[in-house]
Amino acid sequence: MNPPAPWEEIERLYHEALELPVGERNTLLARAGPALREEVESLLDADCKAGLLAVPPTHVVADLLDGQPGGLAPGQRVADYEVESLISIGGMGEVYLARDRQGRPVALKILRPRFTVSAQAVDRFETEARAASALCHPNIVAVYESGRSPAGLFIAMEWVDGSTFRAIMDAGQVETAQAMDWGAQAARGLSAAHTAGILHRDMKPENLMLRKDGVVKILDFGLARDGGEAGPPPSSRGGSGTISGTLSGTLLYMPPEILRGETAASASDVFSLGAVLYELTAGQHPFAGETRLDVFEAIECRPLAAIGSLRNGVPREVDRLILRMLDRRPGGRPSAREVCDVLGGVSGPKKA
Amino acid sequence: MTRLLAEWGSGDQTALNKMMPLVYGELHRIARRAWNQHPHTNTLQPTALINEAYLRLANAQNAQFQDRCHFFAVASKAMRQILVNHARGRLSGKRGRGVANISLDDVEPAVHQEAAEIVALHDALEALHAVDPRKSMVVEMRYFGGLSIEETAGAMGVSVPTVNRDWRLARSWLIREMNRESS
Repeated sequence: MNPPAPWEEIERLYHEALELPVGERNTLLARAGPALREEVESLLDADCKAGLLAVPPTHVVADLLDGQPGGLAPGQRVADYEVESLISIGGMGEVYLARDRQGRPVALKILRPRFTVSAQAVDRFETEARAASALCHPNIVAVYESGRSPAGLFIAMEWVDGSTFRAIMDAGQVETAQAMDWGAQAARGLSAAHTAGILHRDMKPENLMLRKDGVVKILDFGLARDGGEAGPPPSSRGGSGTISGTLSGTLLYMPPEILRGETAASASDVFSLGAVLYELTAGQHPFAGETRLDVFEAIECRPLAAIGSLRNGVPREVDRLILRMLDRRPGGRPSAREVCDVLGGVSGPKKA
Repeated sequence: MTRLLAEWGSGDQTALNKMMPLVYGELHRIARRAWNQHPHTNTLQPTALINEAYLRLANAQNAQFQDRCHFFAVASKAMRQILVNHARGRLSGKRGRGVANISLDDVEPAVHQEAAEIVALHDALEALHAVDPRKSMVVEMRYFGGLSIEETAGAMGVSVPTVNRDWRLARSWLIREMNRESS
């Protein structure tokens, strides 16, 4: 066992070594005794990993200030709404069933203080409030009000009593006629958003809901942007693990141009909806894969099986339409309006 | 070395202990109000809270806090205690009434990970304090107090290059220490 090196010497040699290019440090360190050398080498090694302490502890500060970590209590008021029960918790906040002053049900989405340290989360929340409140359509969930309360940022939305497309697909095979009708409704809502110049950019089964009376509602305009605006989606700007988690969850419905980092257009939403409709009618996802890389490859270049080869009873024009929605070239895809017209023609008169 | 460091180094905590509750209470109060008024990132950063706490306590003409630098040091220490206490509570899962069967910890790994880092850092800082008190103070002010290199230098009465060098070595030392602890 060598005697420990004096702290002053460790300090001096450490700083001396730091001033040299990495390749020349060994010559300097070779002149030191083994104990000193080992100490300084391990410190220089740690210096390369100095990610720690690089950012202030804002998450814990925010958490500290957030008096109610376990969610809002029934009966608690948020602005003009009274919380009834917690519906879901996601990386981006919580959704409650609440009542307005007249006792009508609303969906209350809350971004708790602890999440507001993430600029992406706040951006996403505010985007959703702004985009959805600019849209008024029976197939898009309505936003009543948004604002700030001691409980967090909040969005009061239309309460949709029903299930997400994800839950419906998990429960079993969907009738083709049903799928056509739902697809037409979703496309109608999407077409209205596109007409208003707003892209959804996160179409997936989790964001489509079927109300108990058969009306389809598009949810979550959290990643929406005005059409034509340049730049990658907020979720790809880097940041916390939660954000990349969101990205991975959505990968299966991402069009190839987005994977390549190109700007989203209305055709990108059409592609994502096409993937949902394929899954809904074929009973399997068009780009399913074992790993993320498999999925990437499938979206980029794997030949798509016609739905008719997987399931009987799908009208040929619907099969063709969905495959066109999944065209790898954005220019080859139909508009949301056209999707709605074709599916509407097949599934007959529909609900508003 | 400065009077402050001498006081701390000699283990005379009396003055500090007298001021802590006041600073602690003020930081809490300001932080809550900051959230209610401007729920955005920068207002929640320690340095913003400490600056406002100083302005308030200094305006109150509290004789103890006429020395701004001294205040920064005390506030950083208070902030460290507040955050470490909270991080420990968070890790042991003892706080909050909670909603049945739903753990928010599942969806907020960032808070949890940061809490674990804060506790580990606190322990490593104690060890560093035994080796080199000045460097542990630099980290306390920079990380827990959110002070810049220049503010830290001012508060400690040492030069900017000295704080730079202290900060870099302390960081390497702490990372090495924390890696050893976790392996």
